[in-house]
Amino acid sequence: MTAPVSPRPPQRLAARVVPYWILGDGLTSIVLTSLAWFLGRPWLAENWEHWSSALENVLLGLCLGSLSLALFIPPLNYARWRYGFVGDLLLMRYGILFVEERAVPVRRMQHVDLVRGPIERVFGLATLVVFTAGNEGSAFRVPGLPVDEARELRDRIVQMRGDGRL
Amino acid sequence: MKLGSCAIASCRCVVTDDSDPPPLPPGSDPDRKQSHDNDAPWPAPEQDAAPWPVDDVYDGDIDDDDLDDDEPAPDEPEAKTEDDATVLARGHLHPSILLLRLLDALRQVAFPVILGLLQPWFLVAALGLFLLQLTYSVIRYLTLEYTLTPEELRIREGLLHRQERRIPLDRIQDLGFESTILRRALGLTVVLVETASGRGVEARLDALSRAHAEHLREVLLAARLTAVAKSAERPAADAADDTDVATTSDAPAAPAEPELEWLVHRSTTRELLMRGATDMRLSAFAVTGYAAYELANQLGFVTQLAGIAQTFHNWLSSLPTVVVLAVLAGLMFLVVALGIVTSTLGNLVQFHGFQIVLRGDVLQRRYGLLTTRQKTLPRERVQRVTIEQTWLRRLLGYSVMKADSAGGSRPDGQDTSAGWDVVVPLTKATTAHALLPALLPGIENTHFEWHRGSKKLVIRTALQGCMLAGVAIAATWWRLEANALFALLLVPIWAILGVLVWRNLGWASGDDFFALQHGIIGKNFATVPTKKVQAVVVRQGIVGQLLGVADITVYVAGGSPTCIPDLTLRDARKLSHDLGQRAAIAAARDW
Repeated sequence: MTAPVSPRPPQRLAARVVPYWILGDGLTSIVLTSLAWFLGRPWLAENWEHWSSALENVLLGLCLGSLSLALFIPPLNYARWRYGFVGDLLLMRYGILFVEERAVPVRRMQHVDLVRGPIERVFGLATLVVFTAGNEGSAFRVPGLPVDEARELRDRIVQMRGDGRL
Repeated sequence: MKLGSCAIASCRCVVTDDSDPPPLPPGSDPDRKQSHDNDAPWPAPEQDAAPWPVDDVYDGDIDDDDLDDDEPAPDEPEAKTEDDATVLARGHLHPSILLLRLLDALRQVAFPVILGLLQPWFLVAALGLFLLQLTYSVIRYLTLEYTLTPEELRIREGLLHRQERRIPLDRIQDLGFESTILRRALGLTVVLVETASGRGVEARLDALSRAHAEHLREVLLAARLTAVAKSAERPAADAADDTDVATTSDAPAAPAEPELEWLVHRSTTRELLMRGATDMRLSAFAVTGYAAYELANQLGFVTQLAGIAQTFHNWLSSLPTVVVLAVLAGLMFLVVALGIVTSTLGNLVQFHGFQIVLRGDVLQRRYGLLTTRQKTLPRERVQRVTIEQTWLRRLLGYSVMKADSAGGSRPDGQDTSAGWDVVVPLTKATTAHALLPALLPGIENTHFEWHRGSKKLVIRTALQGCMLAGVAIAATWWRLEANALFALLLVPIWAILGVLVWRNLGWASGDDFFALQHGIIGKNFATVPTKKVQAVVVRQGIVGQLLGVADITVYVAGGSPTCIPDLTLRDARKLSHDLGQRAAIAAARDW
């Protein structure tokens, strides 16, 4: 269904974004599921008269489900993620259930942020955020870039903006 | 006549300065006098009762925007007394403001004074407060000084806590005037300096005399044009587009040319009355609905407690049902009529004498009965223009025209309630469309090829209805059992809604503009200059992916985003890419 009129953004994220996502996003779901399983289950079994083994199986299913989602979503997400320049346009395309395709004329951007969280730093990754004058929904956010590439991209964007105005 | 500027802004009227005689004495300028004195409803209503002492100066001043001559304005005695020639205007607040401050101070001590009748030492406190307030006002009045240079507007104030605010001219978007009835009686106006930062009012001068305010605006707008032209000069020199070069090379000279006012629209009383009558605010509906509910509830209450209000009940039931219904309907009608009357009055007061004129490249609106407002909007800041029709207005062929400007949409809602984004309060839809070129020059030459959305939109909304029905049935089955199946009615309702949405939906992408029409029962038209596009987003939900349709959202600075639902993915991608490319090209050309 790819229309020839709109080129696919050329670049992919760094592959090590997958373990980063698994660790980052997965960590929360691991904590939550283990809380539910190791604390919530005994508490429910003791205090709730309707607790049954069937319900226990449901809970087990939920826990395993969310854990496996945390494992499987990042690779899928990685496979879908594309970004890059096509001419003066910065494009990105991402998402599994909800797919978004963004296009920003970079010369219109207001400022660029390079964000690096603690786990991101361990993996040598960075998130690039390009702000335009449009409101909140129009910010352009590329996670999981190798630091060098992110810096290069940022410099390129800033330069593109700069060569016109002053 | 400059050909370049005319090619770009076809409705811009420019007269050359060459043959212009030196500033005429007030009252003898044929054209501009007319547009200012006779046509303008702004000063007109009050002129007989309380003519401003400064009126003559003000009118003479309009002609005097010869910046390059660097002549001090006749009504600016303080301009350039001490500084070099770079100061374009300088001044203080009008002394009459002290009178207003005195009134304010009196109002504030009124309560302590009343208390003072009971407890004498309150009087002392009140006196102290009064003096303090007055001293503060006097100090503020004495120390506040504004200075306009070719680069910036400086506002300095304070004795102990000194503050100087500098606002670069090319950041100033609007200079608005606002004057309450009291200030108007004194010939004063509040000057609001608006920047494009989106924070709304950046500085407030409360208050200047009308003449000074008008003069400041003239000089500031002219200087702003020069400043903007200067900053645009260099990059435009290597732009391939020669119309661009023509404009920029003209621009520095442009402020020297006195420009005619072009009346874009003036609201008739009839239009304003219609606006009020067709104003279906949610609040009005809520009030009506609540009143009706209350009434019905009370009647039901009466019938139930037959034992207590037996006589009333008997009397009620003795009446034929038709009469009861008629009474109910009458009351409903009364409530609705009251709502209409209040909203009509409100609209008349708010938009009384509304007129919008185009001077050079700046739109200027004036309106208001009690509090008069004057608001300028440079055309280049217009990000989006909408023509809105609620179903009632659509039925009558009327519409409201609004313009989003950079920094013009504010979340606090304060300004929208004062009608700051309204360009035309109400007019025939055909007239509104005919007025578009005045706001967006070039749109008259744009060929719009209208497209419809995908018919799958109806399927998607029907599916949504199914989902809703499913949830509703599942949630209520245990209680309603088979009756819960009535929720299935949601499916056809949603499908019909989908059909309505699809029928009203249309989009068009011209060379420099992008347009959208949407609505369910009402109809809204929105158009965005492609060069203002900040970002384009194509979104696909789960159902959208299954059906191969996508929504597209276009973001502009400050304005609310424009969204077209349910295009085919191919159309959406094509449109997104087109818009993005055009915006990128425009951005490259701008700089």
